[in-house]
Amino acid sequence: MKILLFGMSHRSAPVEVRERYAVEDHSAALEKLVALHEVDEAVLISTCNRVEVVATTRQPDAAILSLFRFFHRELGGDTPIPGGGELDDHVYEYRDRDAVKHIFRVASAIDSMVVGEPQILGQVKDAYRKALESGSCGPVLSRLFQRAFATAKRVKNETRIAHRPVSVARVAVDLARQIFEDLGQKTALMIGAGDMIEASLIALRREGLGHLRVVNRSPERAEALAARFGVSAHGLSELDGLLEESDIVLSCIGGDRAILTRERVAAVLRGRRSRPLFLIDLGVPRNVEPEVHGLDQAFLYDMDDLQEVAMKNEEQRRRESLAGERIIVEEEERFAGWLVALRAVPTIKHLRARAEHVRFSEIERFAQRLDLSPDQREGVELLTRAIVNKLLHPPLARLGAQTDREEGLAVLEEARALFALDDPGAPGAEIDRELQGDAIRRVDLSDWSQDDES
Amino acid sequence: MIELQQTAAALYLASGIAALVGLTLPSRQASRYAVVGLGFGAVAQGLAFATLHRLDTVPSLRSLSLFGSFAVWVGVIFLLLLVRRIRLTGLLAAAGPVAFLVVFLASMGLENPADSGGRVEGIVPHAHVLLSSAGLSLLGGASLAGLFFLIQHRRLKRKTTSSRLPSLEALDRVNRIALAVGFALLTLGVLTGPPWLYSVSGEFWSGSEHEMWTMMAWGIYAGLTAARFVGGQGPRQAAASAVAGFAFLFFAVVGVGLLR
Repeated sequence: MKILLFGMSHRSAPVEVRERYAVEDHSAALEKLVALHEVDEAVLISTCNRVEVVATTRQPDAAILSLFRFFHRELGGDTPIPGGGELDDHVYEYRDRDAVKHIFRVASAIDSMVVGEPQILGQVKDAYRKALESGSCGPVLSRLFQRAFATAKRVKNETRIAHRPVSVARVAVDLARQIFEDLGQKTALMIGAGDMIEASLIALRREGLGHLRVVNRSPERAEALAARFGVSAHGLSELDGLLEESDIVLSCIGGDRAILTRERVAAVLRGRRSRPLFLIDLGVPRNVEPEVHGLDQAFLYDMDDLQEVAMKNEEQRRRESLAGERIIVEEEERFAGWLVALRAVPTIKHLRARAEHVRFSEIERFAQRLDLSPDQREGVELLTRAIVNKLLHPPLARLGAQTDREEGLAVLEEARALFALDDPGAPGAEIDRELQGDAIRRVDLSDWSQDDES
Repeated sequence: MIELQQTAAALYLASGIAALVGLTLPSRQASRYAVVGLGFGAVAQGLAFATLHRLDTVPSLRSLSLFGSFAVWVGVIFLLLLVRRIRLTGLLAAAGPVAFLVVFLASMGLENPADSGGRVEGIVPHAHVLLSSAGLSLLGGASLAGLFFLIQHRRLKRKTTSSRLPSLEALDRVNRIALAVGFALLTLGVLTGPPWLYSVSGEFWSGSEHEMWTMMAWGIYAGLTAARFVGGQGPRQAAASAVAGFAFLFFAVVGVGLLR
């Protein structure tokens, strides 16, 4: 059995392509996936940044073709790619170790557009839950996803991948927290009534900011916005008084000249008894003179500053992701060890069954010719069983000892080859038919013993 | 007594390490352990002081070791009171190792028989030493908060990446409270000095270097306190003043004695 991952993400496809293949009805899509002859188990992950199918299969090449057709027909509606090109240009596939590693990286948010973002883990968990509910997720993928969640937890706890904010809004709130002790006690003044101000209102309210006020040239627009959020609205004539009472000022208002000059802010600061003032200028052209930042208790950040801090933080997250990669390699090896164990048990059972089958058929053959009495027959039984047990003990003990080690894969392969367990013409191969029902026995791990190329 | 002091020193060190881990990761649990470690350290030190009076040979009240150890104890209790209301993990990361160093060295000094000068009786000598060391401790706390304030202020002005230090407001608040309480204790310590001297030598002022420097330091702190609470001094200037003022006070109270 092979593990496959097939799909597209922000790294391989632009948003207009990704949105075409995004999945709305998970259960219907999963039903179609497991109905594919080549797919045994499947989990479907669909977020705004990726659409991926993780599957187990016994026919990897055929399964890849089926998954390609599934994307093209079922998800893409058999329509041309937006903006031209072929689906081939936007999809990727990973097999076995690479697939496991990829899913671990996705769950740990190392493969995310914003490294370390917290949403992806919830989205992967959601995809796994839906697969469990629809019955498309079997024991191998269950184990794989459980390990992916454990890996994500380790990466989050053992690295600083998610510790610095990377969105402009979060950076602004983080900066406010470095200036003020308790945001719940602070007052924010929003200058303007446009979309940016509305988005900022939502963000600041979510962060638990105590008091919010809106001031605008046109009081009607300010009132309309304020009414929607249940905050107070004011005209620009009240600006100086409001500035004195506010701690955070967020400005995004039109105009040729800066509305907050150095002199104006300096006068406001004098009335604030040295309380700091945090100004965020989102206006273009700028609403606040840059010289305001030179005032002792004024901290002015414009859009570029916030973006620069966000970029630095993101760079830091990327550096931290290297530590995350090491954790992923460790976890991937543990998962490989589990698969070895999965393979070892049926191999041991298979070898015993083969030996027993050979022993039994040889006794039957010779018993008829030698005309053995019941006592003699029992003696031969005991003798042959002892010989078989003594011969099998060292290899079986060695196989059992390998189950927790990745190198055990090679030993298992050697054992299967030496005892011709996969050879239908070998003596005792008839017993294989009885073991066909054991799906786990058929796990083919040949690729797992190869060196990691990525 | 020595063992308890050394236990306290070890707990302070552990607390500092936990605070540093809490700050770097960051981890709230590690920060909580830092506070708990500091609390247990303070308890161990409190027990050490309680057993002090039962000893046959107690260290002299003039012992620098005892002075330093008591100053740290007061500072730690002050920090524990503040930490309940203000997020101060960054301060703990610095305070823990400083407390460890002072208490550990003090415990070595208390072990030294040359430091034992016999029992000094009377409320006034005790009040002078205890109030002065408590004042020095809190003014040290004000200077530490001031130093962190200057670092945080500089980071925000330079628009570098986000930091895990306490907020400017929190640091300024610690600075303000520590300055107010510390100056009051220092003043009481200074006022109880002449009566002690009078009881020993029959005069209120001997003109020693220690008295001269201490009076100068007190005068400087009187000016700083007035500037802060009456003159409308800004937080950044107050932070810088707290650092400079403590450097002078430390030299006046400890440095001059060591140079003699």
